[in-house]
Amino acid sequence: MVMDGIPLVMKYTFPAEDLYRPFWEGLKRGEVLGTRCKRCNTLYFPPQRDCPKCMGSDMEWVGVGKSGELMTYSIVEQKPQGFENYDKYTIGIVRTEKGVNLMCWVVGTPKVGAKVSLSSDGHRVLCEVKA
Amino acid sequence: MDRKVGIVGVGMSKFGRRNDVTVRELSWEAVKEAFEDSGLTQKDIQLTVIGSTAYRGTEIYPAPPVSEYCGLVGKSPLRVEAACATGSSAVFTAVNAIASGMVDIALVIGVDKMTEVDTATSLAIGGRGGNYYWEFHMYGTTFPTYYALYATRHMSLFGTTEEDMALAAVKAHKYASYNEKAHFRNKVTVEDVLKSRVISWPIKLLDSSPISDGAAAAILASEEKIRELKIDTPVWVRAMGYGSDTSYIAARGEWTGLNAAREAAYMAYKVSGYTPHDIEYATVHDCFTIAEIMAYEDLGFVEKGKGTALLREGQTEKDGKVAVNLFGGLKAKGHPLGATGVAMVYEITKQLREEAGPVQHSFKKYVALSHNVGGTGHYAFVGVYSR
Repeated sequence: MVMDGIPLVMKYTFPAEDLYRPFWEGLKRGEVLGTRCKRCNTLYFPPQRDCPKCMGSDMEWVGVGKSGELMTYSIVEQKPQGFENYDKYTIGIVRTEKGVNLMCWVVGTPKVGAKVSLSSDGHRVLCEVKA
Repeated sequence: MDRKVGIVGVGMSKFGRRNDVTVRELSWEAVKEAFEDSGLTQKDIQLTVIGSTAYRGTEIYPAPPVSEYCGLVGKSPLRVEAACATGSSAVFTAVNAIASGMVDIALVIGVDKMTEVDTATSLAIGGRGGNYYWEFHMYGTTFPTYYALYATRHMSLFGTTEEDMALAAVKAHKYASYNEKAHFRNKVTVEDVLKSRVISWPIKLLDSSPISDGAAAAILASEEKIRELKIDTPVWVRAMGYGSDTSYIAARGEWTGLNAAREAAYMAYKVSGYTPHDIEYATVHDCFTIAEIMAYEDLGFVEKGKGTALLREGQTEKDGKVAVNLFGGLKAKGHPLGATGVAMVYEITKQLREEAGPVQHSFKKYVALSHNVGGTGHYAFVGVYSR
């Protein structure tokens, strides 16, 4: 029948830590940060170091909002590699009061259109459904 | 398109868990059939385009071993990739090579052997189908999750239910039962779908296309060459539209339909001169049941939010207003990523030539459409064809 192939173990390193340090520092303070181009004012989330719109790279870190509306969600029961040790989790998309759309984990009972406040567990953005 | 392009031969392997072959023998099943179907041989081919995502197989650079096995060395195996729309991106590349006058005859091979890794690894590869760091790394997205995000919002805005979505699976399995090459040939009920294991709510196991192995092939030629070869049953490619969208799903701002698909459809209708009302047969990208409902809306078969009605009324069944996926769809025929878009060309060619046996649709104008989405709406290709 079938035979074992030689395993391909892919271990990655990537430069996100330095590139996105202000994002993680912001999360520790409970703030979600994106970047804004100082020249043309375009706001990026996920944050970008470069602005393809005006070709500039002079960016500043700015808050994208602290509360918003839950636009949609899904409850992950069949978890991928790397997430086996979590209980089932709910992934949502939130539109913040500043109009930025972002992915997060949902805390509480999800409902499309629910008002949420943004926070963090230190590893990702969370949104808590307001009672 | 500068020169008219026609499909002159098609082939398809059996889809499914193909532990009996490597990617090379699997490809040959489809290529051999396409050669026999067209009456052409390797010496007629000037360009080979291979569509394969390949990440889930042992051959992660499959183009050279596949082309060698198929006797195509020296015929430029060009490999292209556009996630789940890889097959259509390969067809698109070949069509353009012929339309531009660069070559007269091209062979497209779509192939993927996806079951060579275990399911957990496969999910982890699929979960990277968007933006690695800002989605998968932080949130543990799986590929079903992305479509589930669309399903939840579609349900909330338009009242679509899990039962409605299940109807798409029931239809797919019903037609796949007639298809000897389909991955699944069992029928399912709405209750079976609703009771199946939750993968990423509201998507359940039976809302999802399987992880499949499979290959499909198509030989395309210029109109001039088709006349010269006296091929009297070509299927003409009237247009190939394309569209794209953001990698980061949250940035799209609307989660009830795919902007990439709407762009691709607009281009395909504009170039071909046909409208949604002219389409009598369509292959749509039903990787998940919600995707079929969204496709009806994105392709303009019905207005936004009415996709479920089309399904409920049976208008996308055989001999309905626009028959959809009578070979079983991705959902039940199977979804080997690289093969899928080419298998759509296979299906449309068989239908337009009236060689589809028990699932033959009755045509009046002989106009068909293919809709193939890559990633979670990152790419889309819409083709329009006529006899």
